[in-house]
Amino acid sequence: MPAERALRVGVGGPVGSGKSSLIAALCRALSEDLRVGVVTNDIYTTEDAQFLRATGVLPAERIVAVQTGCCPHTAIRDDITINLEAVEQLERDVGPLDLVLVESGGDNLTAVFSPALADVQIFVIDVAGGDDIPRKGGPGIARADLLVINKTDLAPFVGSDVVRMISDATQRRADRPVLALSLTAAPHAAPVAAWIEAQLDAFAAAGGHLHSSVSGVSDHHHGHAHTH
Amino acid sequence: MLLADSRFPAGGYAHSLGLEQAVSDALGVEGVAGFIDARLRLVARADAGLSVAARRAAADGSDVPVALAELDDEHAARCPSPVLREIARRLGAQLLRTAATAWPSPLLDGYRAASTTTPRPIALGVVGAAAGLDDRAVATVALYDDAATVASAALKLLGLDPAESARWVAELAPEIDAAARAISADERPVGEQEPPAAVGLELAASTHALRTERFFAS
Repeated sequence: MPAERALRVGVGGPVGSGKSSLIAALCRALSEDLRVGVVTNDIYTTEDAQFLRATGVLPAERIVAVQTGCCPHTAIRDDITINLEAVEQLERDVGPLDLVLVESGGDNLTAVFSPALADVQIFVIDVAGGDDIPRKGGPGIARADLLVINKTDLAPFVGSDVVRMISDATQRRADRPVLALSLTAAPHAAPVAAWIEAQLDAFAAAGGHLHSSVSGVSDHHHGHAHTH
Repeated sequence: MLLADSRFPAGGYAHSLGLEQAVSDALGVEGVAGFIDARLRLVARADAGLSVAARRAAADGSDVPVALAELDDEHAARCPSPVLREIARRLGAQLLRTAATAWPSPLLDGYRAASTTTPRPIALGVVGAAAGLDDRAVATVALYDDAATVASAALKLLGLDPAESARWVAELAPEIDAAARAISADERPVGEQEPPAAVGLELAASTHALRTERFFAS
């Protein structure tokens, strides 16, 4: 059974960790073969949406911004109605789409997406934020379906130990994947794009059902594709 | 109580109902209580009248879709600002989405499917009917929610003691209660009731929508 709607991938993480740049890279990598849309959650400006439109990676009408009244974590977890409306409106206006990336406003380590908004989610941290962040943990680090450790090219300049970050993160995350990334070295974010393509295959095979590991769903009896 | 609780997930936290623009136009902390009161008298009261009319139409049972479609049009006729009409549509859609899970009913599903505009005041009346509220409760929720939304946005826009913004709403309780009684006792069709009368807010909404730097969606 084909999926009736696009796969929704949440992209969260602290301010400045590179969420928008990662999304731009993913659009570059994926938009030739897939119909991609983006919903950004800006905190004060429409900066993120404008940045993405300016990169020219997607037609402008495939990128929409929502205002979240200073509450980025609320908009992705506790009251997701604004984002659900935006995603569905986007699909109605320019759809059908294969993939919608929902970018959270930059927030703290506890901000994760509700499984009712994002089928799967990526949490993005960077080496410049301090290499003790994976050890500190929190829902984003521990339970996101994919953890990206970004800006690895900067590690020597900020005194961060990438190997230790990966090993701390892996310990926190059981079997869930961790990817180290430098968009300077890999402008198409190929490893992350490949991970998303795998999620899309699983989503299509399951007829539009994926259980994000963040939901805490641990049943393996429904025959659905799982991402954990 | 659930419907009036800011923790009820219907997207209201992203709106300041005109306060953000008023603050950029030099409204200070001392003016917010007056702003809330003016909204109550000039906007929220008329909207609450629509909500009560929608509750009655929804609970009446005969020709519900037609009656609600007429009320949708009535809202559009009373809301000349395209920006505010769009905001009302979005807030209504968000409320209906959450309510459809909280109080599942054919009434809510029917209105969600039939209405293209889902203005929040009409949506609130339909949700009130689905949740078993009476006219006075619907009017109280409509008025309280308007005041509390602005008061809560004020905390983020202005340096302020949170207890102070709670006091603003608390002090309006007698006025909200009296207005809710009057609205629920009003048997006139909405077309004969006083329409909203806040041209300044309508104009300011267009200015706000064009700004690139803002916290709130309205």
